[in-house]
Formats: sequence, structure tokens, C-alpha cells
Amino acid sequence: MPDHAPHRPPAAPAAARAARPLRLGVCGPVGTGKSSLIALLCRELSGRLEIAVVTNDIYTDEDARFLRSAGVLAPERIRAVETGACPHTAIRDDISANLSTVEELEEDYPELDLVLLESGGDNLTATYSPALVDAQVFVLDVAGGGDVARKGGPGIERADLLVVNKTDLAPYVGVDVPAMLADATAARGERPVIGLSRTDRASVDRIVAWVEEVRRSQAAGVLVPSDPGPMARHVHAHEH
Amino acid sequence: MPHPELLLLLLADARLPVGGHTQSGTLEGALTHGLTANDVPGYLRTRLLSSTRVEAGTAVVARATVERHGSLDQVERAWAARTVSPALREASRTQGHALMRLVRRTWPDLSRPLDDVVRPSRSTVLGAVSAGLGLGAASVARLVAYDDVQTVCAAALKLLPLDPVTVAGWAAEALNGIADLEAAVSWAELPTDIPACSAPQIEAWAQAHAASTRRLFRA
Repeated sequence: MPDHAPHRPPAAPAAARAARPLRLGVCGPVGTGKSSLIALLCRELSGRLEIAVVTNDIYTDEDARFLRSAGVLAPERIRAVETGACPHTAIRDDISANLSTVEELEEDYPELDLVLLESGGDNLTATYSPALVDAQVFVLDVAGGGDVARKGGPGIERADLLVVNKTDLAPYVGVDVPAMLADATAARGERPVIGLSRTDRASVDRIVAWVEEVRRSQAAGVLVPSDPGPMARHVHAHEH
Repeated sequence: MPHPELLLLLLADARLPVGGHTQSGTLEGALTHGLTANDVPGYLRTRLLSSTRVEAGTAVVARATVERHGSLDQVERAWAARTVSPALREASRTQGHALMRLVRRTWPDLSRPLDDVVRPSRSTVLGAVSAGLGLGAASVARLVAYDDVQTVCAAALKLLPLDPVTVAGWAAEALNGIADLEAAVSWAELPTDIPACSAPQIEAWAQAHAASTRRLFRA
């Protein structure tokens, strides 16, 4: 299968406004800060963008409730999808429950600019289908261990953005953040990596700028959703 | 059109992307409120005698209605009147929506009779589409009943630590109840023929489940 570049040159003049909102997926293992990242994006962007959120809770509506109680969005703009203990399935091979919820939100709020989807915390192999999201962020955190980025996996290697979260905790968990970011960057080639801490303003600005950039390319009709894939990419490292 | 038997297999297959994995047939609510693994075979039989007859009857009548070019709106209303729990109505409409997505793309002509029905239930969609696919009334009844049995059994494997062969045995045993259900509903033609025999206890569990904060399944 050929590699698909995430962007291609514009075929038509940039539209002022996309036909539908950007659908941005956030996935990654349990406890890495997916809900917090979504709350942060809502706080940073809700002043200028119309946003809604779909959560995929594994065992509770905890994530939806967390976001509602964070007060960053009107509660009715945050909807939960139950996945029957199949968080992986619900974002990849049978996306119907998520897609229906996204479409409902888009119908109820025609002015939406951005729909954020939060996957249930799963393992390193869980990624979104490009039929569900236009772009996806894979979230790791330093507390999960400095070697996780090196372990790789489709999300770490090929999600549109990799976030290494909670960098402020590094001194307490004995993780070398620059080394972890270097591992991640090595695994991802050209694809971006952001070390994030909500107490580090510059890192917050970087992720907001990334979302804005993705939104611009989607609005211009030049964003092609790409699949990080469920499997390791075949690499001919020793071709003669 | 392919052979009706193949179409029936396609519609009964859990791999059909219509969000079946989000449903437990209220088993999760039932287990939370005291049912145990030993009760699951009885729970399957009870459903086939009650709420699943409403669903299967609705599908059979929706099929007959499309065949005689009638209005599905009355079928949908008859189903809603017999499905007392708002949580179960909502769950069915959500599944109906997913099934409609599939039908519109796969067999666009067959979705036309449903165009005027607002958020049709899963059974109404299934029955209406069955007419266009050439499935008989008895097949439609069996399809709805079989799907219900397998929904509960698949959820049981997630909710209870069981040998999957045990659960497959429960499903096989429940097939006898499906024959009775089929005889009870497959003659139905009119919305008034749909049995009104839902199970109040299942509805109460479904309502309690919808209000719970810790759940794996939508309903």
C-alpha cells in the first residue's frame, strides 16, 4: 500500500468555511490525559470556535461528566457513546454509534466549527478510522514511562499529532523528557510531536496552533484523512 | 437480488456495522439488579415470550405494510405504544438510525418507504427493508428473535466470566423458543395485530440502567 501524505496541494480556491466541522479524534492509553487535553482545547478555543464533544467511555460516563463539570462547554454539547466494552471497535471497525452521535450534534448545532472525539482509553494499537475523523491526536504521558514512545505502534508512529503529556511530572517519575521526545520524533519521521503541560504556556500555544492549522487545511478542502493503520508498516530496511 | 437466505445471513451477522456491540438487550441492567449467570437462559426465554414478540411483530407488520404500499407511520406508532420504556425506544431508534445508514448506501431504493418516518425503530426499518429484499414474514420474525438471543448472549460474555461454549449452548437452547415466537407473530398484517406483551420488569431494568453512571452497554 502506498504511503499517503496527509496533505495535498489545493485543487480549488480555499473556501471561507468548511462544508462541515472538523472532526478531530483524541486517543491513547488510559490515564494519559485525553479528557484534560479536550478540556484544555475547549478552554482555549471556545471563545472563537463553536465546539462539541463526543466521549467514548469504557465503563462510566465519567469522561462526559468530567468535561461537563469542567464548565468549558454547554453540557448538551457533550455527548457520551457507550461502546459495550469495545472501545477499539467503536472508533475503527464499526464506527456507526460514533458517527450517528457526531451527525446528531452537527444537525443540532449547524454552526459548529469543531467536533472533538475522545476514544475510550485503550492500548497502544487503538486508532481512529479516517471515515470517522479528519485528523487524530495520540496521547502518551511521561508518567506512563519514558520508554513507551520507543515501543511504537500505529498511533505513536502515524497519528497526525503525538502529544507527550504531563511533562511537568517528569522530575517526579524520573523520565528524561528530551530523550522521550527524541524517541517519539525518531519513530515518526516528519510527523509532529508536542511535549505538553498545561502549566507550560508555550506548549499550550503549540497545540492550539496545530489545531488551527489542521482546521485551516480542512476548511480549504485540502485535508485528506489518513489511516495510521492497525499494523506495523512493512519496511525494507535491508534492501540490496 | 441475491438469494433471500444469504440476505438473511447478512442481516443476522454480528459483523454488520450497525452498532450491535453497544447493546445488551437489557442484560446489563438485569444483572445489576440481581439476576445471575444461572438466570440468563430464563431471561432469554422470557424475552422471546414478551418484549421480543413486540419487536418481531413490528418487523413482520412493517414488512406487510410495505408490501401493500401502506403507511409505516402507523406501524411505528403501534410499536412505540407497546414499548413503554423511553430508554428502550431511544435505544431502538439509535439502532434504526445505524441500520438506515447501511440501507441507504447498500440498497437505496429500499429505504424509500421509510423516508417519511421520523427516527424509525430498528424493527420498523428491518421489516420494511425485508419486504424489498424478498424475505418472508417468518424469516423476518426469526431474524429479530435470533438477533435478540445473540445480543444477550454476546453481552453475557462481556459481563460474566463464562466459557463461551456454555453461552453458545444457551443460544442453541433458546432456538426452540424462537419457533413459538414465529408462530405467534408471523401471521400479523396490521398495526393492531402487533402483540402488546412487553415485560414491565425488563422495562424497569432498562430505565434504571439508562440512569446509571457505570455501564458498558447503551441499553
